[in-house]
Amino acid sequence: MTGADVRDIDPGDGRFTPSPPQAPAWSPAASTAVPPTIDSSEFAGWPEIVEHLREGLVLCGPDGLVWQVSPVAQRLLPEIVVGGACAAFDGLDGSSAEIVHHGRRLRVRRVPLSAGPTCWYVEDVSEDTGPADELAAERARSAFLAVVGEKLGNPLHPDRAAAAVVRLAVPTLAEVAVLILAPRSGRARWWRARRDDDDLPTLDRGVLAAAELPAAVTDSLHGVQPHAVDWLAEQAVEAGWLPGMDAADASVRLVALPGRDAPVGVLLVARPAARWYTDDDLDLLRAFADRAGAALTTALLYRNQAEVADTLQASLLPVEPAEVSGVQWGTAYRPAQAGLRIGGDFYGSHRLPDGGAVFFLGDVSGKGVEAAVFTGQLRQCLHALHRIEAQPARLLRLLNDALLESTLAHGQGRFATMVLGVVRPHRDGGLALTLAGGGHLPPLVVRSSGEVEQLPLNGMLIGVVPDPRVSQVSTRLAPGETCLLYSDGVTEARGGRRGAEQLGTERLMQALTGCQRMPAPALAERVEQITCDWLAQRDHDDIAVLALRATGTRPHRHLHAVPTPTPVVREGTTTS
Amino acid sequence: MTTATTGTSPAALYPRYLHCLAEADEPAAVEVARELLDAGVPADRVLLDLVAPAQAEVGERWARNEWSVAQEHAATHVSERVVASIAAYANPRGDRGRIVVACMDGEWHALPARLVAEVLRLRGWQVTFLGASVPAAHLVSYLHRHDAYAVALACALPMRLPQAHRMIEACQRSDVPVVVGGRGFGADGRWARRLGVAWAPDGPTAADLLGDERVLRAVAPADLAHLADDEYAGLVGRRGELIDSALADLAQRIPGFGDYTPAQLDSTVSDLGYILDFLAAALYVDDGSLFTEFVDWLVTVLASRGVPAAAVGATLRHYAGVLHDFPRAGAYVRAGGASLPAAGRRHSQSPEA
Repeated sequence: MTGADVRDIDPGDGRFTPSPPQAPAWSPAASTAVPPTIDSSEFAGWPEIVEHLREGLVLCGPDGLVWQVSPVAQRLLPEIVVGGACAAFDGLDGSSAEIVHHGRRLRVRRVPLSAGPTCWYVEDVSEDTGPADELAAERARSAFLAVVGEKLGNPLHPDRAAAAVVRLAVPTLAEVAVLILAPRSGRARWWRARRDDDDLPTLDRGVLAAAELPAAVTDSLHGVQPHAVDWLAEQAVEAGWLPGMDAADASVRLVALPGRDAPVGVLLVARPAARWYTDDDLDLLRAFADRAGAALTTALLYRNQAEVADTLQASLLPVEPAEVSGVQWGTAYRPAQAGLRIGGDFYGSHRLPDGGAVFFLGDVSGKGVEAAVFTGQLRQCLHALHRIEAQPARLLRLLNDALLESTLAHGQGRFATMVLGVVRPHRDGGLALTLAGGGHLPPLVVRSSGEVEQLPLNGMLIGVVPDPRVSQVSTRLAPGETCLLYSDGVTEARGGRRGAEQLGTERLMQALTGCQRMPAPALAERVEQITCDWLAQRDHDDIAVLALRATGTRPHRHLHAVPTPTPVVREGTTTS
Repeated sequence: MTTATTGTSPAALYPRYLHCLAEADEPAAVEVARELLDAGVPADRVLLDLVAPAQAEVGERWARNEWSVAQEHAATHVSERVVASIAAYANPRGDRGRIVVACMDGEWHALPARLVAEVLRLRGWQVTFLGASVPAAHLVSYLHRHDAYAVALACALPMRLPQAHRMIEACQRSDVPVVVGGRGFGADGRWARRLGVAWAPDGPTAADLLGDERVLRAVAPADLAHLADDEYAGLVGRRGELIDSALADLAQRIPGFGDYTPAQLDSTVSDLGYILDFLAAALYVDDGSLFTEFVDWLVTVLASRGVPAAAVGATLRHYAGVLHDFPRAGAYVRAGGASLPAAGRRHSQSPEA
């Protein structure tokens, strides 16, 4: 028998006896035993020691024809015959190279011998590089999941999260990825990413009636893992999710994205059948699905809570002052907690039947949501009370009694400081103001000369004692003059060189001097700006500003058909 | 462009409009805009050829000390009312995605951003304008609550670039693409590239850029490896101490320093602070030209208010001296000092006797 008899033997066909300690997992062919089909007499020239080397030897004459082949080399290169050419080594110029031969990685060294012939040393290094490849694959998977974690780790808007999930799935997990969210009110929304020519995914989205969802998707949403993967591809094609893909030539997988109780959605991934999903791929897909599910669940939870919070906040936000003839309003509002749009400062106004208006600005004790809720109660109180009393000091006392009653009943012990005024347009285009103070910072007036004047107003806190001392002051605004109410978040803003100095009333008045030509909204914004510049990004208390400017428009008396009502409550009853 | 000579072009009515701003006459200014719209001038042309250049002029007049801050504010307020009335007149109905437009926290120059917002609205986008000085937390909670296709962020002053970067990152973490604009990113947007964000010089360019989400997302990441030298963090940490030392230096050099009014002292402190803030921003984006450009601007503004360039030069030399262990910052300060007008430099070489 010659070497020609083994020329076409497949090394993976199991004909060789495996040697258990050295057998690589991928093939039973690794053996150090001499194949029984080879006549050992031909290798008489090899010392026994050669048979136990890891390297096989191929000895070639100067003409390149094979002289001798060692048993190990014969096993690795079964097509080599003595006297024949050595095709496997064609094109190897250097002294050392690696080639892939019959699915194995061979390291080949070429050593010219002193006597003239050349010896090729051949070593099977498949097992050496196998773990390296696996390590690289594992690293790629970890890197992918790290990117996924980074992108989906932040709370997102639900639509953003859904789009991010499909975008991330392509191209690592699929050529086409479709995310179907669990139906809400009978409609299921889906997002799809498709791999484009330049590897960047193209996104689109749509809606399906819950009844039209493929059965496999519905099952998966109900927590049933579909096993009939065969017709999953048909279902996906039928749903129109895999354009340009043939069901017979697609490898499709479906994985549920875990939610709080039931799956929050399912992810359908597809790629050409040639790249089927291996067990490793499926593990990666499931790991991805866990992260995607968590991100979507967080997003939906956040959205639902934000919806509630927004609705409640909206009811507590200051309402822009009502339009009054001859008055230009300006406001600024900046709550202490930027993420929250509400705080313990409040302002507002209510129109009076005689063409004037009640206006107010104040600050309640405490901060944040609780304080905001209290401002809501207070504003509702005022809304009701201004209908029966329009004289500022008496109105403030009424409010004090009402608050005292409710805080006593609830045992809250909350109180407020505020300025409350009534403005009435005057025949000459100016405004007549009457203001009452309940322990709040006195208002400023920017006169037409450009000077800034502080109104003498103080009084006691509202909601603390039954019969508080309330101070009252009256003034006139000529056309172009502005009255400014503000909260202590302005003057107590801490800044300066070391961030410890208060802005103070002096600086505020200085900054407003000469601002007589500013419209009220610009003036209010200027106060906010001075305060924020002073703060230089530091934390602050709630900031509120209410400015009212006499525009110089004369009141149109004939427009007010409603007669001025006589006060319903008499003076004596308000303070008792 | 055939209307250019008929008297109802933005260019022809520009002087009249500027006069309205000077007088803070809102009804008359609105009237000018309405005349143009009634004559068939497209709304975006009125915004870009009338309102925008007029607002730039307002800023220049403030810088030249021709207008007080109060006048500038009043004029800006009138321009905002004009923009609102143009928007109401055009009343576009957007069916494209939602764009959120916001100014950086601490930025009060909202009008340029407002103009961009209106141009985007005219191009069919649904626009939410969050206004001036939007806290980052407010913007992020808005993005969580309402899905946005993209965010357009305005920054007028380069000294806010570090905060701008934090805000950009917050949006990107919310997976919302960002486009930025405004002079704060440099005339050619070079600091936007440094921060890894798309940049547009004006509204129409921003509108084109926003049209392609893939381009918006394909921006090179931020390149801030130089922050590893901790000069930025160190300078921010020593801000208060450095201002104190500069004040002490001024008190020694300027004879009348003790007689400064509290208001003069406040504005000196804030000027000294601005110098450090711009220096910090220059360190953040690793570009000394940011600081040099600021010094040029500061000298112009102070000169129009009677403060000689020599005063700036002396303070820069003081900062360069105390920042000896900040190699990058020191180099920027020296380059900024070298760019001062020749007269100012000569002066600074022979300090007050």
